[in-house]
Amino acid sequence: MSGAIAAALIDDIVDKLGGAVRRRYGQDARVENIAVATFGASNRTLLFDLLEGRARRRLVLRQETVKSEYSPFISTEDQYRILQVVHGHGLPVPEPVFELEAGDSLDKGFVVACVEGETLPKTLLADPVFMMARKRFAAQSGEFLARLHAIDPREFSFLESIADSQDALAAQVARYEGYGNCFPGIEVGIRWLENHRPPPRQRAFLHGEYRIGNIILGPDGIASVLDWECAHLGSVAEEFGWLCMRSWRYGRIDLPVGGMGQRDELLAAYGANGGDVPDAEELRWWEIFATLRWAVINMMQIDGHMSGERRSLPFACCGRNIAMVEYDMLMAIKGDYR
Amino acid sequence: MSQDNPDIHEILTTVREFAEGVASRTQGAERYDALCAAFLMGVVQRELNLGEQQDEAQQARLQALLGCSGDLIELYRDFSARVRRGDYDHDWQPAFDFAFEQVVDKVRVTNPDHLEAEHR
Repeated sequence: MSGAIAAALIDDIVDKLGGAVRRRYGQDARVENIAVATFGASNRTLLFDLLEGRARRRLVLRQETVKSEYSPFISTEDQYRILQVVHGHGLPVPEPVFELEAGDSLDKGFVVACVEGETLPKTLLADPVFMMARKRFAAQSGEFLARLHAIDPREFSFLESIADSQDALAAQVARYEGYGNCFPGIEVGIRWLENHRPPPRQRAFLHGEYRIGNIILGPDGIASVLDWECAHLGSVAEEFGWLCMRSWRYGRIDLPVGGMGQRDELLAAYGANGGDVPDAEELRWWEIFATLRWAVINMMQIDGHMSGERRSLPFACCGRNIAMVEYDMLMAIKGDYR
Repeated sequence: MSQDNPDIHEILTTVREFAEGVASRTQGAERYDALCAAFLMGVVQRELNLGEQQDEAQQARLQALLGCSGDLIELYRDFSARVRRGDYDHDWQPAFDFAFEQVVDKVRVTNPDHLEAEHR
């Protein structure tokens, strides 16, 4: 997107956002201090101050941008409901403030409270400010996930019908086929996964994309967990597989939990907080599944680029990144990576 | 193919150096885009060097494995259909080895630094 078009689009969004807050908070309510966090990826995120009389609140607007038939993302309406439930259980997630409506003319999306902290993996892994946060991350993740997975999945019955809740592997295979690709490495990976499925588990509510990059950390550790667009019902081991996947270690491969900690710390904290700890073989299957899923997400990005729907240089790179993910997947199947 | 300088490799190097230069003096999305552009120029250079040879070797390997001929895309599709049907479930290693080699070939083009030393 050219700079001029992006600037015009932001002006338009800000204008409509002003209308949206006046409708909800009265004619004196104003929007100030706009900042663009992400623009044009799988969602659009804008930060702004809401002024109501003398009160000023920093808020975040999230809008949906991916509308593909094969989109792996749940609707923004469902994301908002999830935030309401999880926030209601006292877990660290952004406080839901209001949902966009048709009259706002802002597409679909919602507004939540802004949480201070850092999400950039490179900064989190290097900056001395986050030394304590890094040390605590594996154990804090175990505790957070145990509390999340303990919520009665019936509170999320609206997620029952989505493909990932029915059969996580079949959902990825269907998306892969939808893109019309033919990758020998992916095919071998899919067959291996089909032939080595772990025994079924009772389903829990899963964040679905729990990893660094999607979590705000402060100097003391986890401040808030973001990005609920892949939430679904499934095996708790799926959550650990995604978290520990090689790509999310950002080069610190000896620290499987986000490049910050060990699986043992994560699982011990999970068990200590009431979680039913999966065994090593089950975790291995889900880590290999995670690489398939990550490859398919990269296919979505290159499909968006090739179709002209969302052209960008990073999405063009995603197409060629798939080979590296396939390599990690096959090395894990060989038993050379874990 | 043109005999005039700059040849294809020199053109790619020149554009890649430009993109790297942009990345070194910018920040945020612009820097990221420039890094992506430089990366993609590198992919083209490696594919020009390796692509044809890799395709020929893979085609020969797949024809031997599948016992039929065809262009590489047809052979990939045939291989994939057989893997999916479970034809290799009881003779897994040759199928796995082909897929692994094909992936290693692709990573040699995309980003050889991602490979373990024995696969570079």
